[in-house]
Amino acid sequence: MNFRFLAIALTISWLAIFVFLPHLLLVNTSLLTPHLEHLAVWPATLDNFQKVFTPLYLSVFLHSLELSAIATIICLLIAYPFAWIVSAHTSSVRAWLLFLLVLPFWTNSLIRTYAIKILLGKNGVVNTIMTGLGLWQEPMQLLYTEFAVIFGLVYLLLPFMVLPIYSSFDKLDPTLLEAGRDLGAHTLQRFARIILPLTMPGIIAGFLIVFLPAMGMFYIADLLGGAKNLLLGNIIKNLFLVARDWPLGSAFSVIMMSIMALMLLVYARVNHYVQRRGGLDDQNL
Amino acid sequence: MTRTSRWFFLMAVFIYLYAPIAILVVNSFNSSKYGHSWKGFTWKWYDKLLDNNALMQAFWHSLTVGLLAASFAAVIGTLMAFSLYRYRFALKKAAGGMLFIVMMSPDIVLAITFLVIFMVLGIQLGFWSLLISHITFCLPFVVIVVYARLNGFDGNLLEAAKDLGAGEARAFFTVVLPLSMPAIVSGWLLSFTLSLDDVIVSSFVTGPSYEILPIRVFSMVKIGVSPEVNALAALMLVVSTILVLIAQLFIRKGKNQ
Amino acid sequence: MNKTLLMTLLLLITGAVQAEEKVVVYNWSEYVDDSVLEDFTKETGIKIEYSTFDSNEVMYSKLKLQRGKGYDIVVPSTYYISKMAKEGLLQKLDKSQLKNIRNLNPDLLNKDYDPGNVYSLPYLWGSTGLCYNADEVEPASVTAWKDLWDPKWKGKLLFTDDVREVFHMALRINGHSGNSEDPAHITQAYELLKKVIPNVLVFNSEAPREPYLSGDVVVGMNWNGEAVSAAQENPAIQYVYPKEGAVFWVDSFAIPVGAENVKNAHAFIDYMLRAEVAKLNTEYVGYATPNQAALPLLEQSTRENPVIFPPEKIIANGEFHRDIGNDALQLMHDYWQKLKAGQ
Repeated sequence: MNFRFLAIALTISWLAIFVFLPHLLLVNTSLLTPHLEHLAVWPATLDNFQKVFTPLYLSVFLHSLELSAIATIICLLIAYPFAWIVSAHTSSVRAWLLFLLVLPFWTNSLIRTYAIKILLGKNGVVNTIMTGLGLWQEPMQLLYTEFAVIFGLVYLLLPFMVLPIYSSFDKLDPTLLEAGRDLGAHTLQRFARIILPLTMPGIIAGFLIVFLPAMGMFYIADLLGGAKNLLLGNIIKNLFLVARDWPLGSAFSVIMMSIMALMLLVYARVNHYVQRRGGLDDQNL
Repeated sequence: MTRTSRWFFLMAVFIYLYAPIAILVVNSFNSSKYGHSWKGFTWKWYDKLLDNNALMQAFWHSLTVGLLAASFAAVIGTLMAFSLYRYRFALKKAAGGMLFIVMMSPDIVLAITFLVIFMVLGIQLGFWSLLISHITFCLPFVVIVVYARLNGFDGNLLEAAKDLGAGEARAFFTVVLPLSMPAIVSGWLLSFTLSLDDVIVSSFVTGPSYEILPIRVFSMVKIGVSPEVNALAALMLVVSTILVLIAQLFIRKGKNQ
Repeated sequence: MNKTLLMTLLLLITGAVQAEEKVVVYNWSEYVDDSVLEDFTKETGIKIEYSTFDSNEVMYSKLKLQRGKGYDIVVPSTYYISKMAKEGLLQKLDKSQLKNIRNLNPDLLNKDYDPGNVYSLPYLWGSTGLCYNADEVEPASVTAWKDLWDPKWKGKLLFTDDVREVFHMALRINGHSGNSEDPAHITQAYELLKKVIPNVLVFNSEAPREPYLSGDVVVGMNWNGEAVSAAQENPAIQYVYPKEGAVFWVDSFAIPVGAENVKNAHAFIDYMLRAEVAKLNTEYVGYATPNQAALPLLEQSTRENPVIFPPEKIIANGEFHRDIGNDALQLMHDYWQKLKAGQ
């Protein structure tokens, strides 16, 4: 028993037992028959995946994807200019701005969600201010709506979108822009032909890091969306903990993992492309 | 964009990020229960918070799991990073892939895989299931930080140690460990915060006898208007800010070395 | 420095596994007077580890997952008592350790969900009915379940986060029993519920009074006890028994089969069955107690409050929940997923 053996054995056995095996079991469960008492029983079946695509569940599934996608796109729209502006500053200002960006994210995310609940309530701060200023005739229903869920998702996930985009701006070679200018490209052309393609790996990495967790954050929909089944996470949680349909819950999880794999593939492709064209390093993830 | 409009944009984003937190902190001193209007300064929510036994117990449980999970993740993660950095072995690629999966998988999927494995292995949901799952989801972050550090230093140092007759273990403890300490510490801090903040995995793998803070806070927050939550938020904000500053200090120190 | 760290870790580990006299209670959220729990520990020295659930389904799942281990006391509703007893998740109560049984009202004992009270003893009972804020809503406009379907409530209602209660309501409107197992009835109920879903703003079973109190919701379903607590803070919040009949339920103490502190669990139940403790709980949470010895101790206003203790006629018009079997439940859950997604 030497050190080398121990270190390798620990690495492999931990990952095998607590990562590989559980994922394998999850895939296996998604292929079993649901049973209210014994959770999942043989025989194997593809029914669960079929069920996901029946009208009953498909619309729920698509709607949850749509909400997460909207939240991700809003994150992107805020994060992209933010990262761009930050990257244009001197390095000490940059460090401060980034520090301020991530500081709130070290506070418990539930507590920040609760803060949003107070902000958006019928008698909350936003309504008080807007009616006080006379901009709204009467308080608007903000809490327990899809708007509140998207607001919360963007709030919690914004830093995760900014950081990868920032890092691709950071790596952007200014001489390329100068070359573009020298060759007579105007602002929009420079953006579309140089800046956007070269920051694309950052955008996709950000999309990946935001979109996937956004689908899973059931507590946002529970607290801000009135406990409706708005996100994939709520559906999975309900299937596991309320309806006790583990095979169907597993099928949804397997689909979620497939989406992840697909997005990683796209990311790898784009990164590869940009590396060849722009000579950048693969260090966004 | 002009200079002013850029600053305006930055300010707007920061207001978006900080306004909700500011409201919480202000309300934690507001004697009005519903926090719709200011009814005078008070410490009473903090008093009530300290009197809330269930909450304090959950807090200690969280602290215990957080400290242990971060420490185990730091130890195991460092060994993993070292193995991946130094040795060639079968399944090395697979091990890297597994860590990547843990890092990228949405929490909800991880939570379910943990739940399934604990059921199959017959591990009771409670302290141990929490600890194991927290260690596991912290691991990739420790590995990445430590691996990057190992990659950054001179491989000759290890060879020199071996030439001087040190065994693998000795070389690890006398050369690798001290050199990667700043990385290990920042990995530890990262793990500790991840563990304290986790809601999704914990709500699946926690058991009756071991309720932890996020789960307790979740039910408090669901129940609704309870100003103790504001007080708790303000306290946690202070604690986590201090932790982040310490972490920054270590990272700086690591960079300077 | 390493040594101190190690010592701390060791201390933490030993602290985590240290044995002590305790009882692990798994109850509905907001369902006990906290001072009762403290007094129990003070008197007996038994520590209470208390956690909460917000639906029978979640409680059942957790218990089922752990094969009846982990908890010493659970508080399922009637229909889950029979289901869980049938599945071997509960253990028989030792009546010799429960001398305060004599305090209970015989009318609420020996029911079909647990003949002879072998597995359970009632803790509190109550109803699910209509609730509204009289400052915002014309009382005459909410008298029946059907009134919730009025399009003017679009995006305004609160529903309890409970599949059985919501379906019960629709089944009753359609003129069926709230315990119907007929798939056709359930599907018909779903079709009806689909129409009311645009009106539903929030599902809440943790503390349904809060959205009423915070002003986010002005009308919807509620539990009588939550409505009583809400009315104490804001008298405009009213509770009515719907014309089609309210949903009634009894929540009972039971001991899971794998409980580790069986003796303490009995001590806990017996303590909760004391007349003065039952009085405190009823006054605090606003639900009716089956404890007839506690009735004389209650304030007259509480005892005669029809929201807490409904008149015979109202009870006769309503219906208690029963177990409906796995197939019917599964079907409801499938529809429930969809309803909760707003579809």
